[in-house]
Amino acid sequence: MIAVEVENLSKRFRRQTVQPYTTIKSAIVDVFWRRRSGEAATFEVLSGITFSVKQGQALSIIGRNGSGKSTLLKVLAGIYRADHGRIRVHGRIGALLELGTGFHPEFSGRENVFINGIILGLSKKEIRQRFDQIVQFAGLEGFIDEPVKTYSSGMYMRLGFAVAVHADLDILLIDEILAVGDVAFQLKCFDKIAEFRQHGKTIILVSHDLASAEQLSDEVIWLDRGIMREQGKPQRVISHYRWDMLGQEERRGLSEHH
Amino acid sequence: MLALFRELLAYRALIHILVARDLKARYRGSVLGLLWTLLNPLLHMGIYALLFSVYMRSATERYAVFLLCGLLPWIWFSASLMMGATSIVEGGSLLKKVFFPAHVLPTVTVTANFVNFLLGIPILFTFLVLYGVQMGLPVLLLPFIIVCQFAFTLGLTFMLAAVSVHYRDIPHILGHFLTFWFFLSPIVYPATQVPESYRFILLLNPFVPFVVAYQDILLYNIYPSPGVCGGMIGISLGVLLCGLWIFTHLRWSFAEEI
Repeated sequence: MIAVEVENLSKRFRRQTVQPYTTIKSAIVDVFWRRRSGEAATFEVLSGITFSVKQGQALSIIGRNGSGKSTLLKVLAGIYRADHGRIRVHGRIGALLELGTGFHPEFSGRENVFINGIILGLSKKEIRQRFDQIVQFAGLEGFIDEPVKTYSSGMYMRLGFAVAVHADLDILLIDEILAVGDVAFQLKCFDKIAEFRQHGKTIILVSHDLASAEQLSDEVIWLDRGIMREQGKPQRVISHYRWDMLGQEERRGLSEHH
Repeated sequence: MLALFRELLAYRALIHILVARDLKARYRGSVLGLLWTLLNPLLHMGIYALLFSVYMRSATERYAVFLLCGLLPWIWFSASLMMGATSIVEGGSLLKKVFFPAHVLPTVTVTANFVNFLLGIPILFTFLVLYGVQMGLPVLLLPFIIVCQFAFTLGLTFMLAAVSVHYRDIPHILGHFLTFWFFLSPIVYPATQVPESYRFILLLNPFVPFVVAYQDILLYNIYPSPGVCGGMIGISLGVLLCGLWIFTHLRWSFAEEI
């Protein structure tokens, strides 16, 4: 059974170098100027991405900064819309992206658990039943009624992870977040991820931590400037990626010496 | 479009939490708390009553209660637009990081202000009784007018929230625009006092049928004219559909533009 299927996906962004948004003034100016200078500048963040993940497998996406890893996850999560291509998802999908995964800083931890849980597809009743478990997993027993803006980044992340793993998701998208927690919590997360996979759930993970990517995943995709450079067994792809990075470092080193 | 309604229904638990939260946050830290809901319209009423009834000797009978009939719906309407226009921009942290049903945000603003409006209804009836206003069957039309106004306000808030993401000038202009709109609506003066040659301004103003209908059923114990009823239904449906259409079309740009 295939859990996620991506076919020839591409995504463009509008360049937002000078002004991140339009004002009425610039819109009026644009009518007269930009039309003549052609299309608004865009650049391709992802192009021709094709892969599929089987149910119960873990896929890691690696690549340098700006290679499009996070954008790919956001497209899969339904936050961005792809410009071309097809995505088919079988099952309930949920994402843990960066820090403060959709938390409202002014709201208490308790309120955010409910808001987040509902977004991930739980009913209020289901959240109430799991509430203590979630708080315990996050280790936030004493702080759950404080506004989350007072939380440390580790606490933020723990709470986000705790809600997501208790939400009965079939497919979990994780972006870098494991890097924030302390070792004890990281181990807890690894255990939970292993348990997840035993239950036939699918994980797609973006990571800079190559060791954990190798340890956790069945398959690895290497993204390079929005294009899939390689896909395959973790060991092989990761070692090629390492070689490539080393090669670049060396070239840079050489050019600096001469 | 229907799918959007269904989605709103599915997220009613989320709307419920966010509305409760919004109302709690609004008055937290203020000594009088929820009393402000009642004090706000009363203070407005006091000022306008002094201005128009005492200083300018308006001939309108039972002026204070006349004012209240228009003021309460107006406060609901204008506060919804003011807060709603920035709802998407301010909800950025939610929209960027997780899949969040964007249309929930403007709906929450309108609903929270609606609850405020409902809390004001008992004061309105207290005043009606104090002033010895005769009420009859026409009062039963109140829920119908409220439903129409809800649709109208929601539609307009959808439009403003979506368009404000691209044109950040709008929230700035809106405050002034609403002041003009307030004085061009027969809230502090009865529609009959507008000179014949300026009546066309009332016909162009979509808020007029609502104010007139409230005043008719509450104060004058008459049924609103078919023109007023037809106007309300037409305006509320038209604006709601238009707002939803605009919102759905711009929805995908939110995560990228905020």
